[in-house]
Amino acid sequence: MSAPRRVVVTGMGTVSAAGIGGRDVVRALLARRDSALRPLRSFDTATLPSHLAGEVDDEALDALFDRDAARRLSRICRLTVAACRLAVEDARVDAGPTLGLVVGTEFGDFRSSGEFATGFLKRGPSGLSPMLFPGTVMNAMSAAASIAIGVKGPAVTVNQGTVAGEVALARGAALVACGHAEAVLAGGVDELCGPVYQRLAHELGVLSPMRRPDGRRDGVEGCRPYAPDHNGPVLGEGATFVVLEDGEVASARGATILAELRAARWGNIPVAPYAAPVGRRDPRSVLRASLVEARLPTAALGSCWGSGHGDPALDDWELALLRADLAERPNLLPPRSTAALVGQHGGVGALSAAAASLDLGAGPALVHGLARGGCRVALVLASPTGR
Amino acid sequence: MSRVVVSGLGVVSPYGSGTKTFWAGLAAGACAIRPITLIDTEGFRSRVAAEVPADAMAGLGVSPRRARADRLGLAAAREALADAGLGPADRAEAALVIGAVGGGMLEGEAWYWEETRTARPSPRIKALRSILPYTHAETIGWRLGIGGPKETVVMACASGAASIALAADLVREGVVPLALAGGVDALTRICFMGFNVLKLLDPDPCRPFDRDRKGMSIGEAAAFVVLEDAERCRARGAREIAKLLGAGISTDAHHVTSPHPEGEGMARAMTLALAAAGVDSRAVDYVNAHGTGTLQNDRTEALAIARVLGAGRVPISSTKSLVGHTMAAAGSLEAVASILALHHGLIPPTANLREVDPEIPFDCVPNIARPAPIEVALTNSFGFGGQNVSLIFGR
Repeated sequence: MSAPRRVVVTGMGTVSAAGIGGRDVVRALLARRDSALRPLRSFDTATLPSHLAGEVDDEALDALFDRDAARRLSRICRLTVAACRLAVEDARVDAGPTLGLVVGTEFGDFRSSGEFATGFLKRGPSGLSPMLFPGTVMNAMSAAASIAIGVKGPAVTVNQGTVAGEVALARGAALVACGHAEAVLAGGVDELCGPVYQRLAHELGVLSPMRRPDGRRDGVEGCRPYAPDHNGPVLGEGATFVVLEDGEVASARGATILAELRAARWGNIPVAPYAAPVGRRDPRSVLRASLVEARLPTAALGSCWGSGHGDPALDDWELALLRADLAERPNLLPPRSTAALVGQHGGVGALSAAAASLDLGAGPALVHGLARGGCRVALVLASPTGR
Repeated sequence: MSRVVVSGLGVVSPYGSGTKTFWAGLAAGACAIRPITLIDTEGFRSRVAAEVPADAMAGLGVSPRRARADRLGLAAAREALADAGLGPADRAEAALVIGAVGGGMLEGEAWYWEETRTARPSPRIKALRSILPYTHAETIGWRLGIGGPKETVVMACASGAASIALAADLVREGVVPLALAGGVDALTRICFMGFNVLKLLDPDPCRPFDRDRKGMSIGEAAAFVVLEDAERCRARGAREIAKLLGAGISTDAHHVTSPHPEGEGMARAMTLALAAAGVDSRAVDYVNAHGTGTLQNDRTEALAIARVLGAGRVPISSTKSLVGHTMAAAGSLEAVASILALHHGLIPPTANLREVDPEIPFDCVPNIARPAPIEVALTNSFGFGGQNVSLIFGR
């Protein structure tokens, strides 16, 4: 958006199958060549066609919480709180009324909803747990994180498929730019929802190896964004949050500014829900608008990150839109994707933005996102000295 | 920065379809809370809610194959865009910000109930494609050709008000010239069971601010406003229904389900809204309270209003006593109620109010709507997770 305030990145925290930590872990991810996707361990997949996932190690996650907090918080809330704490520590930013929070998620605390309903179906009204009910509302993670950290500014939860993390960053930037907060924790989270969801996803035909229109599944299971043999996403889980901050406030407190978020725009290509029509162009491209806002020519871009996660129709549509908008820089395509490393979840967009913030040597980075149904996001990150 | 005005309204409420129907019900002080028909309530303490009537649902002009919440949302969104006189070119540059919680859960629950009880795969599985809250925005954005930023905000019972506050930012900062914003929620089993198990539901229609209140009554609705850059609205000769003067958003960081006991976050949201509006607290003529009817909310909210506006200084009412607590739609529905109160110079009453709680030092406008010259109205919305949003509208 046309920000009256300069928005900068001053910290990051991540929890994923590839590791748990701050900027050091994200930096290590940039150098990583192998994927962290592995055969699922938390439940049996023998009767399902897909077996891979990017699971967060339970022991490593639980080690971040005392026993009481681990008992009180659902797993997705622990993922969120852990990543937010790591980001706050990394940025050394103060909590309170000037700190905001934006949590992007696709599924929220789906497990709690399932457990709550199952309690009733098994034992009637006496089987309902008052402890589980708040988790059925998708802002449960933001509630847990705001209490754990002391966020008293706006705490917003954004629900969106595929690009929840990217939209959360754009909204977080808007909150800073509009003066609602001096700093905002912005990012995304999702967890593997368990065997019921895994079975449903297969029945709906949305995981690798995806079902083709003729009902057949073919190819080797795996997450291969933009590759000729891509055949669907592999689910991951985790949370990544970055600290977006008013540039003047960050400078005044002596914070290390990792990158400047020069533009953050999101829009909609009005197509049917879940549609990914590869031939549909975007005359109101948020990518072009973001470059105008960032005052950057296309040729100045040094890298491009995409939201591709191996869904053939969506990968192809995203590539077609990027080719149209980045005609001057065809060598930036196909974009880089973090989904291939850690599995698709609501935090990957924020992970891409975090990684891009640490890898600006070749020039400003474009973090692009596109979801089925037409939600499109463009974030432009640049070196803090590049303006 | 641009000034933001309201140029269109759209509502589907427990009174039926349309903004006029909604206002007629509020002005008459008619309580729309009745025995629940949509879901099985056997074995629960409270069995009443404010449902959208079946004949109104049938007349929405939206396919009954869609999820109930999508039907409510589409009808209300269409009315708001038509009310503002917006054509396809306007819609292509509009933002869409929707507050949602339940999504298509009502239909998703039907699938889950059937599969669990029969232990056989149910053909209702297709309902899961509409189960997540963001599917309202997908459906509305597509059907109405909205091409600006599309966003689904989940802030519990403050979602509808938050959608208006966040959409206004996009207009005020010049990102878009106009936005369609509002909340949508249909009744769901999980919501009904959850508030029952927390013992937050009154077995009878709720009585906000009453000394003997026993909790809230849930409801369902969709309500949208068109927010527009003031100059653009004037230039195209459109009707300026009200001004959105300011908004405040805060978080308690205190407890997942209980408000801060001193109403600290609530007071901060109101104070932020007043500051954003550039309005002195003495200028507020009416407060449409969050007013759920729970013991804790009403006392805490009254404490916070007293701290910010002064005890007893301003009339407050709860339209939840008339149309129930419509969850994600509540904030935008009450924003529309506040705008209509400004427009008509009439304060909607608090229904079912017999004796005001002595700890609530306000005139709560009992049972009968009251004519009053209103220049500035403030509306509060609070939610689980310590979410607080206050909006201020002016004539």
